[in-house]
Amino acid sequence: MILIGILVTLLGFLLSLASLGLTTSVNARMAMVLAGIAISLFGILGLINRAYLKDAIWRKRA
Amino acid sequence: MKRTILLTSICVLWLSLVSGQTPTPATPPAATPAATPAASAPATPAPAPIMDADLKNVDVPKPEVRAKGDPDGALTGTASDVTVGDSKKGLTIGDLANQAGQNKIAINFVWTLITGFLVMFMQAGFAIVETGLCRAKNANHTMMMNFMVYGVGMLAYWLIGFSLQMGGVGALANLGGTPPLAAEHSITLFGKAFGLFGSNGFFLTQGNTYDVSVMVIFLFQMVFMDTALTIVTGSAAERWKFVAFLVSSFVLGAFIYPLFANWAWGGGWLATLGTNFGLGKGYADFAGSGVVHSVGGVSALALALIVGPRLGKYDRNGKPNAIVGHDIVIVLTGCFILAFGWFGFNPGSTLGASGNGSLRIGSVAVNTMLAGMAGGFGAMFYMWMRYSKPDASMSGNGLLAGLVAITAPSGFVNPVASVIIGLIAGVLVCLSVEFVDRVLKVDDPVGAISVHGANGLWGVISVGLFADGKSNYGGSWNGVNGGVTGLFYGDASQLVAQLIGVSTLIGLVFTMTFVANLAIDAVVGQRVAAKAELEGLDLPEMGQLGYPEFELKSWTANA
Repeated sequence: MILIGILVTLLGFLLSLASLGLTTSVNARMAMVLAGIAISLFGILGLINRAYLKDAIWRKRA
Repeated sequence: MKRTILLTSICVLWLSLVSGQTPTPATPPAATPAATPAASAPATPAPAPIMDADLKNVDVPKPEVRAKGDPDGALTGTASDVTVGDSKKGLTIGDLANQAGQNKIAINFVWTLITGFLVMFMQAGFAIVETGLCRAKNANHTMMMNFMVYGVGMLAYWLIGFSLQMGGVGALANLGGTPPLAAEHSITLFGKAFGLFGSNGFFLTQGNTYDVSVMVIFLFQMVFMDTALTIVTGSAAERWKFVAFLVSSFVLGAFIYPLFANWAWGGGWLATLGTNFGLGKGYADFAGSGVVHSVGGVSALALALIVGPRLGKYDRNGKPNAIVGHDIVIVLTGCFILAFGWFGFNPGSTLGASGNGSLRIGSVAVNTMLAGMAGGFGAMFYMWMRYSKPDASMSGNGLLAGLVAITAPSGFVNPVASVIIGLIAGVLVCLSVEFVDRVLKVDDPVGAISVHGANGLWGVISVGLFADGKSNYGGSWNGVNGGVTGLFYGDASQLVAQLIGVSTLIGLVFTMTFVANLAIDAVVGQRVAAKAELEGLDLPEMGQLGYPEFELKSWTANA
């Protein structure tokens, strides 16, 4: 899960980067970059953090 | 009736304006003399060029006069103090021109160095803010991390980091040109050169970098880098292994921070988004909301995820417990020290006080103090309304949040925008702390993720919104003519450049830090043993209590 989270986070950045080569429209670039940011945030907060929460130290304590 | 009064008022106003503007008949129209052809004007002799010989007649105080002292300062600093190139020729125009040039660079050197010294002192502010927000049983450990991050970061930056960041920055005109820093490694992507890292300046020697202007920029950039490193120690405080801290800080200072700083400030690909892709003036980050604070903030998040929450922070249902710091007095004192140091951080980022629009330092300084004030108010009032009390530590964090947020836009916005940016930052830090604590369940003892991460990103975005296009640092920014102009002043493409910076911070810098710290976790382990954490890290990790006279063990063992 953590590995998938890392890949998704990186994918978001790559989508933003790709906006530079795929279009010259400011609006289209803005949309792609915002989508990239959302994907990266999902990777961090939705996947990586969730993986750590599953094994959180406070769940294990007696 | 109302309409009559209104019409009468307008007529009176119009008449008063007309009577005030119409010249009296006795006065000739102001435009007349200017409209007269120059040929018919009385010929005025062109001023004779100043020759070297004229300089011989400059009146300088005689030695016997000077020997009597100069209580009012009128005799000190004259033509006799100008360095003469050839004593046989005496003082020449060339000597004066050289002296003027050196004076400009000297002013900029002194400005950049002194502001760098102020930023260095911020380490003390960070140290006591973090220590005050932690428990007394970890005081030595927290202080020691903040103390040694200065040395570890500096070593890493001197050996490797500075070269990667600034080795290809090219000419810094305010500092005399920095000609040795001219080796940027680039790749070609989408048909454009993407600068990735510099390669001159290892050990401040390689590539002819034993140079006075290189030394100045090294000192200034080094203390910025150290600020980013010390942010991370806050989010992992009270459970971070000291050895892991040392290794992690070295990696951040040598590689990760310098790479992003190169892309933004060292002539790298983010800075050239304007020249290569027509996105505004390229990624614009005046003093480092993104480069310093967001890099520190996203790294703090990565560390906090890896080391996990402190024992007792969450109950078995995941409900957070408040673990209060031990000294609010030093927390707020530290906030004051940081606010003072920020006058080095932001105004110093002009890299000079003479030439290339550097006189905007006054505007930058005022923007900085206004945003800090607004941030403090925003957080205080938010907490007051939500919890019925004006929380002291969150008010301090609000001040810092405002300062973090204004760091990127401070050189590009007006005072009203600064207050808006700071106010939003003050509320944002409170919302972010609650979100991180309660929803993400990430334990951040000092709020570093929210203060520096969330508000650093907000600062980067705010450039793309509020930059008013009035700044003019030598006529261009990142090689694109004109001032940085945001969405609200007509340039949406600047906002896109800023958002690409945000995406790089979240998507790439976070990933690099996270992977590096996972590797460190696998090799040396990031978290201390539970027994040591319960006892407090001062004795197990440092071998000495921070407050040895206090009887801590009896109650901290159960904390």
